[in-house]
Amino acid sequence: MTAKIGGYIVLFLCCVLAQVLIFNYITLFYVAIPVVFIYFIIRVPVNLSLPLLYTFAFLLGLTVDIFSDTPGVNALACVLIAALKSPIYYIYVGKDDRTQFLVPCVATLGLIDYCKYLLTFIGIYCFLEFTIEYFSFANVKDIVILTSASTAFTFVILLAIDCLIPVKT
Amino acid sequence: MKNLLNFFIKYGTWFIFFFYVILSCVILFTYNYYHSSIYFSSANKISASIYGTTSEISSYFHLKEINQSLQANNARLENEVLNLRHQLAEYQTLHSDSLLFDKDMQARYDYVAATVINNSIRHPKNYFSINRGYEDGIRPGQGVVDQNGVVGIINVAGPNTSRAISLLNETQRFSVKLKNSDFIGSLSWKGGDPAIAYMEEVPRHAKFHAGDTVVTSGYSLSFPADIPVGVVMNRIKGSDDNFFILKVRLNPDFKSLSTVRVIKDNFKESVDSLSKFDITEDNKR
Repeated sequence: MTAKIGGYIVLFLCCVLAQVLIFNYITLFYVAIPVVFIYFIIRVPVNLSLPLLYTFAFLLGLTVDIFSDTPGVNALACVLIAALKSPIYYIYVGKDDRTQFLVPCVATLGLIDYCKYLLTFIGIYCFLEFTIEYFSFANVKDIVILTSASTAFTFVILLAIDCLIPVKT
Repeated sequence: MKNLLNFFIKYGTWFIFFFYVILSCVILFTYNYYHSSIYFSSANKISASIYGTTSEISSYFHLKEINQSLQANNARLENEVLNLRHQLAEYQTLHSDSLLFDKDMQARYDYVAATVINNSIRHPKNYFSINRGYEDGIRPGQGVVDQNGVVGIINVAGPNTSRAISLLNETQRFSVKLKNSDFIGSLSWKGGDPAIAYMEEVPRHAKFHAGDTVVTSGYSLSFPADIPVGVVMNRIKGSDDNFFILKVRLNPDFKSLSTVRVIKDNFKESVDSLSKFDITEDNKR
């Protein structure tokens, strides 16, 4: 259990550092903003206790917020997406004893299911983040463009990262 | 206690979730100027609309007090206007090149605002009661008006309440005149429609038009001159060929009489004493 928590902390730090040191400086066509740090929430197993998941999600969002000068935006979006993790996961993956303990990745879920899971997860997160950031549906067109572009861009990056990280099941 | 503990354990995850959501929102609205300004402007809009609705509702409950206060204010202002008019008339009789303004000159009329507590319009002899009595300075014979015009004359004054003879009383007559031509007549109600009265004893040569205003003549001690009473509707053929009878639509709405003002004439005693003096002198002769 301690080793697992240690592993989560390492993943947490990697995601945060990758985001604040690299991906915060990348923007594609001024509309595609990569939100790579949410890979942590995507990657942790579904059976991780919810209080722990919420705590990690909050701290993750808050840390990124501190470095991105967007206090509260990512923290709130991360807590909300953490609550939606299980429902999104079980849309594409059947609920049985085996799937509960899986680490969501290409190797365990298969490319198609994982892509669906990843795309849905990133899409909802981006929508939440940009909606919170704009905090007004007067700019709904901008929110849709940013969400679409950022989802596509992040999806490609995370799929690439996923293929690089080995899986211990 | 155990149940409470079980409840917290059972729903602990939700509590943690909401705790983090609230904490995030607090951070969001505290440290982001844009979000806090939106939050405050939206909150202001909501609270303003709630307060606006509440105020609209609660204002209905204060209408009575507001009305009373307005009536009192109106009475004071009317009083002031009448006294100024009176002063002006007094000064116009003095030498125009040596006017001296006597600030201590006594005001002739005072108004006492009162609420009608009982009113009838169905009988041939109608009366109404008000919530002011002789302790408030009300005396029999004082005129009663509302915001639209003459409504009656006090006939009995108790300590805190008084009874007035309504204009809708067949036995009561009011000295009135046509505002434009100053022809005098006597106004009385003949029963039936509470909005219609008749101005009698109008000289045959008097000129009038439908819609002319009928006002008090000022020849009685109950009412000052020029208080509106009603408007002329048409002429009716009377029994005496030398006089007209004019049908008058009364200004006050007697069905909804609520707040009235009683007119106190401060010169009444001196005028009464003069009348008594005349009578005494006549007896001596």
